[in-house]
Amino acid sequence: MTMSRLALALGLALAANATRAASIEVQVRDAAGNPLGDSAIYAVPASGGTEARNGRAAIEQVDREFVPYVTVIQVGTTVTFPNRDPILHHVYSFSPAKPFEIKLYTGKSPSEVVFDKSGVVTLGCNIHDWMVGYVVIVPTPHFGKTDATGNVRLRDLPAGAYEVRAWHPQQRAAAQAQSLVLDATGTARTSFEIDSPARKPRFKPPLDRLKY
Amino acid sequence: MPAGAHGFPRLSSLGSRLVIFFVALLLLVNGIGAFLVLEANSQIARQTIDQELERGERVFRQLLAQNQARLEQGAAILSADFAFRQAIATNNTGTILSVLRNHGARVGATVMTLIALDKTVVADTRDDSRIGKPFAFPALVDAGIADGKASSIVLIGDRLHQLVVVPVLAPDPIAYVGLAFEVDDAAAKELNQTTGLEVSFLSGMADGGWRLHASTLDASLRQELVASFASRAGDKTQAEVQLEGEAYETRIVQLATQQGARVAALLQKPLSVGLAPFRRIRNAYFWLALAGLTLLVAGSLVIARSITRPVAQLAEAARRVQDGDYSRHAEPANRDEIGELAVSFNHMLDGIQSREREILRLAYEDGLTALPNRAMFNQQLEQAVRTARREAQPVGVLLFDMDRFKAINDTLGHPVGDQALREVGLRVRTALRDSDIVARLGGDEFAVLLPTGSSEHSVQVVAEKIQAALEAPLVIDGQSMDIAASIGIARFPEHGEDAASLLRAADVAMYVAKRDKSGFAVYDPAHDERRQEFLTLLGELRHAVEAGELVLYYQPKVSLADNRMSSVEALVRWRHPQRGFVPPSEFIPFAEQTGYISAITRWVIRTAVAQAGEWHRAGLGIRMAVNVSARDLRSEDSLVQYVWAALLEAELPPGMLCLEITESGLMDDPKSAQSTLRKLRDLGIATSIDDYGTGYSSLAYIKQLAVNELKIDRTFVAGMEADRRNAAIVRSTIELGHNLGLTVVAEGVETDHELEQLRGFGCDMAQGYLYARPMAADALEGWLGAARDRAALRSSVGGALRGG
Repeated sequence: MTMSRLALALGLALAANATRAASIEVQVRDAAGNPLGDSAIYAVPASGGTEARNGRAAIEQVDREFVPYVTVIQVGTTVTFPNRDPILHHVYSFSPAKPFEIKLYTGKSPSEVVFDKSGVVTLGCNIHDWMVGYVVIVPTPHFGKTDATGNVRLRDLPAGAYEVRAWHPQQRAAAQAQSLVLDATGTARTSFEIDSPARKPRFKPPLDRLKY
Repeated sequence: MPAGAHGFPRLSSLGSRLVIFFVALLLLVNGIGAFLVLEANSQIARQTIDQELERGERVFRQLLAQNQARLEQGAAILSADFAFRQAIATNNTGTILSVLRNHGARVGATVMTLIALDKTVVADTRDDSRIGKPFAFPALVDAGIADGKASSIVLIGDRLHQLVVVPVLAPDPIAYVGLAFEVDDAAAKELNQTTGLEVSFLSGMADGGWRLHASTLDASLRQELVASFASRAGDKTQAEVQLEGEAYETRIVQLATQQGARVAALLQKPLSVGLAPFRRIRNAYFWLALAGLTLLVAGSLVIARSITRPVAQLAEAARRVQDGDYSRHAEPANRDEIGELAVSFNHMLDGIQSREREILRLAYEDGLTALPNRAMFNQQLEQAVRTARREAQPVGVLLFDMDRFKAINDTLGHPVGDQALREVGLRVRTALRDSDIVARLGGDEFAVLLPTGSSEHSVQVVAEKIQAALEAPLVIDGQSMDIAASIGIARFPEHGEDAASLLRAADVAMYVAKRDKSGFAVYDPAHDERRQEFLTLLGELRHAVEAGELVLYYQPKVSLADNRMSSVEALVRWRHPQRGFVPPSEFIPFAEQTGYISAITRWVIRTAVAQAGEWHRAGLGIRMAVNVSARDLRSEDSLVQYVWAALLEAELPPGMLCLEITESGLMDDPKSAQSTLRKLRDLGIATSIDDYGTGYSSLAYIKQLAVNELKIDRTFVAGMEADRRNAAIVRSTIELGHNLGLTVVAEGVETDHELEQLRGFGCDMAQGYLYARPMAADALEGWLGAARDRAALRSSVGGALRGG
């Protein structure tokens, strides 16, 4: 507990430094050149990955959807799954990075999940087949998610060499990682092209009719 | 009886032809009808089945799709099962295999395969050999990615399966699971229950053959199905397949498969099922046709019978008519055409009968007297002779004709003659018993046949009855005439053995009766001999003329006024070399009958004229009288010419010749006699009527004849002494002759008393034995000399008598 407070303090200190520190602007497009949102972008320092000791995140279930659709977290982050719907959900993951299962519940997440390995975890609800969410667990605190315009800015990166990686739920193949070196105040710009078809939302029965 | 009249008609008969025609017609019509109906039925049945099959195919395809959907759904549910996904996610092969088996069993899959996203096999319920190898049906996986589920009919090993591939979602696909459901007999049975069709599944093999995987057919039919289906190839959609002799309408449904395998589902229905209702119709049709046929045969037999029976009866009636039996009429059976025919036939029958009766009547009845004619009489006579011969009984035949009937006919005309014959027939018929057959044989000849067994006496009684019947004079048109019959009688068996000889015998007897003026005569074999003799004589007569056996004798005709012999009558004599002297009465009648008389007449004329010419040249002044027969008069011209030629040859003046014609001869043919006499008178030749008083000729008739002389028949002269009436006749005849300007000659003067009487009556000339018999020419010349000596004496005698 103290350790995590310490890390946080350190982090804030670092961040204070970072105001003067460098940032990376990334744009992601699909094969057709259209901006691609919901792409996880993260930069791993050449010096090696780090884990967060006390990081926390929450993935809600709202209107029978996982919100957010894509969640990017640093390894070691604890995630809760609060259920905002008036109905039960049964959140599970069969992904090797973190298989888990939170059986039928509502409201506050009955348990927390610590994602202690990097990788992608696909979330599902055992009683609502169309509900899908992704948790991208990265070994770095420098990460972000593209907005609807396909842009994301990673801030406050200390100078140094980084490997920038990208991931998208519908990607057909993993995008090539990009290496770049940041000076203390510079802003690096890069872009990714990820061949991914548009997300096909699965059939979701209307609530009012089926009273799920 | 004709064969066709009763019982079943012959094949050729009208009846059977009718029946055959109608039956053939019905069979043809029914046959065509049955053919059309059955053909239509069969087509309808086939169409019905085809439609059923088509419907069946639709249902079948729908069922397959439903089945597939059910399996897919099952698979999807299975793949969504949390525990299943959890087990899959463990990546533990043993766990995965067990969950596959467990969950596969839940939905009834026979094979379960877990396929990685890279389409390699992760686990397979059959064995582990496939692990890590590519999945056999990658296209299905692709389809599964696209649609979330995919399925197809596939061959796994040599078994047919419905393979379903669905993704395992967590919630993104983490793997695919393939579920294979075997298509087996149970599956086919299920389809069969819904479609009502026989369902079989076959797959094409590499060698072109077909393998049966599942079927609802009995095991025994399956092998046959495979064989026949293989031979038909699987390209068609419809075929008819024979299984154990039953036709199955078969629909071939090609199923979509993976790996390019050919899989077909056969939907079948036996044609017999579709035909079953029509089979009932067909049976009904058959029985209906059979009933119709029976009715038709019976009906046409009845109709044919109703036609042929009357026809056969008519034919039978016609046959009876042919045999001469007119007694039975044909019975008109109905009021139809045949009935009319029968009525017409009966009319014809009546017509034939009445005509035949008329013909028979004409043939066997004499038209004039209505008595049986000669033909009929001959028949009856023959019949009677047959009966008599059989019963050893006698038969009597009478034959008679009228004496001098010809004279009646000639003088009074044929109508009177015919009436006389009718009267004679009637009288005789009336006089005799009904059992006696009276017939007119022709002319004035009648015959009577007495019933078999009539005695000799009864025959004579009949003859007398006939004579009695004819005794009374006939009165016709107010004219009374005496008739007499000469009757010839012949009897079986003594006079003839058969009808012909009996008739001939009667004829001979009749001739004898006539000659003897005896009324009737019974045949005597002697008659025949005499007659034979006559016939022989007739033959000899011809010879006599040529051989000069005939001679002329001359009898003087003496003038009573001066007792001078002024003329002679030439009389023919026959000096037969064997028989000696033959009297003229024995050959002249025959000569007249045969016509040979004219030859004799000519000889007489030539000889007599020649003699007269000789005497004329000698200055004797004797007129020659020659007898001419009635027959000679008929050939008038030739007689006149001949006489004239003879006169010229003998250089005799015509006035020195006198031709004497008997009164009966004149009466035979008055017209030609009259004409001939006129011609002779025109030539200057004298003519005389001989035998006057025997011919019934009236004086009115005599008056018309161009004659010079009348010769009173000797019977009157000879009877003068016995009967005063005869003398009166002679005297009135002489006066009559004188009144007509004729010279009157008395014949047959034999006594002086007769001579004196004649002289007293004023008779001009006399001829007879009193003066001289006929004598030869030289004898006459001698007599003439002697006569001159006696002339004075005779003259004085005559004067003395006259004075006394």
